[in-house]
Amino acid sequence: MSLDLVLGFTQALALTMSVAFVTYVFVIVVPYLRRKPAPVGEPSSLEWHFFVPCRDEEAVIGDTIRYLRGTFPIAHVWVIDDDSDDRTAGVVRALKRNGGVRDPNIHLVQRQRPYARTGKGNALNDAYRTVKLWMGRRADTESAIIVVVDADGRPAPNFLEVCAAQHLFGNPRIGAVQVDVRMINAGQRQPGVSRWRRAFGAGLVRMQDLEFRTAIAAIQLSRGATGTISMGGNGQATRLSALDSIAGPAGSPWRGSLLEDFELGVHLLTEGWHTGFTLDTHVNQEALYSLRRFLAQRTRWGQGTMQCTRYLRRIWDSDHLTTLGAAEMTYYLAQPWMQLLGTLIYPIPIALMAYRFAVSPSEVVFWFFDGAWILFTVYGAFGLLPFVLWGPVYRARCEPVGFWRSIGYGFGYALYIYTFYITSWRAVVRLARGHNGWAKTRRNTERVGGKVALDV
Amino acid sequence: MTLALRRAAFPSRVTVVVLLALAAGLVFAHRLYRTVEISLSGAVLSAISSYGVEVVADRQTVYFGLGSDTPLGLRMTPECTSAFLVLPLVVVGAVMIALRPRVQSRVLVALGVAALAVVVVNQFRVLTLVGLVDWLGVDTGYYWGHTLLGSMVSVFGGAAALVAFVWLATRK
Repeated sequence: MSLDLVLGFTQALALTMSVAFVTYVFVIVVPYLRRKPAPVGEPSSLEWHFFVPCRDEEAVIGDTIRYLRGTFPIAHVWVIDDDSDDRTAGVVRALKRNGGVRDPNIHLVQRQRPYARTGKGNALNDAYRTVKLWMGRRADTESAIIVVVDADGRPAPNFLEVCAAQHLFGNPRIGAVQVDVRMINAGQRQPGVSRWRRAFGAGLVRMQDLEFRTAIAAIQLSRGATGTISMGGNGQATRLSALDSIAGPAGSPWRGSLLEDFELGVHLLTEGWHTGFTLDTHVNQEALYSLRRFLAQRTRWGQGTMQCTRYLRRIWDSDHLTTLGAAEMTYYLAQPWMQLLGTLIYPIPIALMAYRFAVSPSEVVFWFFDGAWILFTVYGAFGLLPFVLWGPVYRARCEPVGFWRSIGYGFGYALYIYTFYITSWRAVVRLARGHNGWAKTRRNTERVGGKVALDV
Repeated sequence: MTLALRRAAFPSRVTVVVLLALAAGLVFAHRLYRTVEISLSGAVLSAISSYGVEVVADRQTVYFGLGSDTPLGLRMTPECTSAFLVLPLVVVGAVMIALRPRVQSRVLVALGVAALAVVVVNQFRVLTLVGLVDWLGVDTGYYWGHTLLGSMVSVFGGAAALVAFVWLATRK
């Protein structure tokens, strides 16, 4: 194969991938900017159950239970203790005792090894089966809504009325709803670390907030048109009857991949349920300050997405998904693979140019200043624009920061996205080695006691 | 006895194989493709130009403005051809048909339209370049035509072709 052919092929592929991405971003940003809040519903028409999976969450679980019970008095809180080594279960029991007046809406699902610590999906399935037993035959599965929140998660006070809206759980065809996710520590600097680390951590947290509130939210809104809104790990609400329909004989609606939330959405959609997304309410969670922990978390997500590639056949075979919906889900599942391809394809023209520069520097310099710099500018602009634009979008919709700061956020986001090229490679290596288990991502306040991510 | 007549659908597996063979052909027979492409450019230029136009097929080059003050030859290189822009569409189309055979005809129509759009856009790029050379002279016209304008035409044309492909292939 000649050098020109390789160059032509890689340039065209890079151009196609870039143009596809730029087009996609512009298609999703418009509905995001134009959206309007919808009317809310009546929460008492439904029965609410919060599932809070926990493993060594003694430090945060007490406040979370108090918040959930105080903010949503009609809801039940089910804490799933995945055999914690700390006093997580003790904190839950103490709050349930409530100083002698038992709180009937606080429940503890106690798991024990060797059946515990086998993944978040299994923990949620355990709670699902426990709720089913607790409800017994009187269960109104159409009205019961299961909401999954993290141990430090804080659903906004209007969470229930927004989710009960006519276009969400007010519609009996809606099986699940995902709400907007925000970072509670955006704008807060990490205490007790060096100045540079504090500044870097604050930037990383800001990027996570920007990502969830703009790009991910816009993707989810656009999925309203394709009928493929997906579920996230936090702020995920599912109708019990929908869970029943996909639970199978084992009573396990959540499956075993590392991206059990997305997997849940795939099963619901292919079963014929509709899913919803709303920005009218949100759930707060803590973003990560540490790059190492962030990379570990994103590697897990990337690996989970790669694992879910096995659902491609199921997605395309489903009569409940349109071709556009199936194509959208395929595009999502292809992302980590395209990032792998990108890391191989994108450097080829640069490597060839470097080679030519080494052989004949004056020729390359002349070529560059004779007009190639314009090409570099055009392709650089198209490469950066789909990321940089989220900075001003964040300013317009989320945080009223200065214009130039928002541009800075946009460039920061472009850099942030490049970490995915690293995590995709880490994910594929883990996949190839058969390392499919994972420990939870450590919280900011947890001390490092060995590896951040471990195989089970 | 009723006779049920049903139009036999073309086997999707055959279509997938044909499309993949086409994709391979675009890579391995790119010289032939570029020759056809530059011959098309030559035909279009002959139709609209009052000066002489000559295609040298084995060099994939078209000479235009022959007899004028600004004669120039343009070579359709592997970096300039539309072959590798059509290629991803063909592969994606093959994958879609393999995964959902019932969308075969829709995908083929979408593929035809999008591929045509890419080819037309590339011809338009060549014509733009020729027009700029005619207007601004060889140095300046080629400079802006080959760098900025050519790239913009490729980007926007590519985007339009992709949107057309997705819309036509996935509409209900």
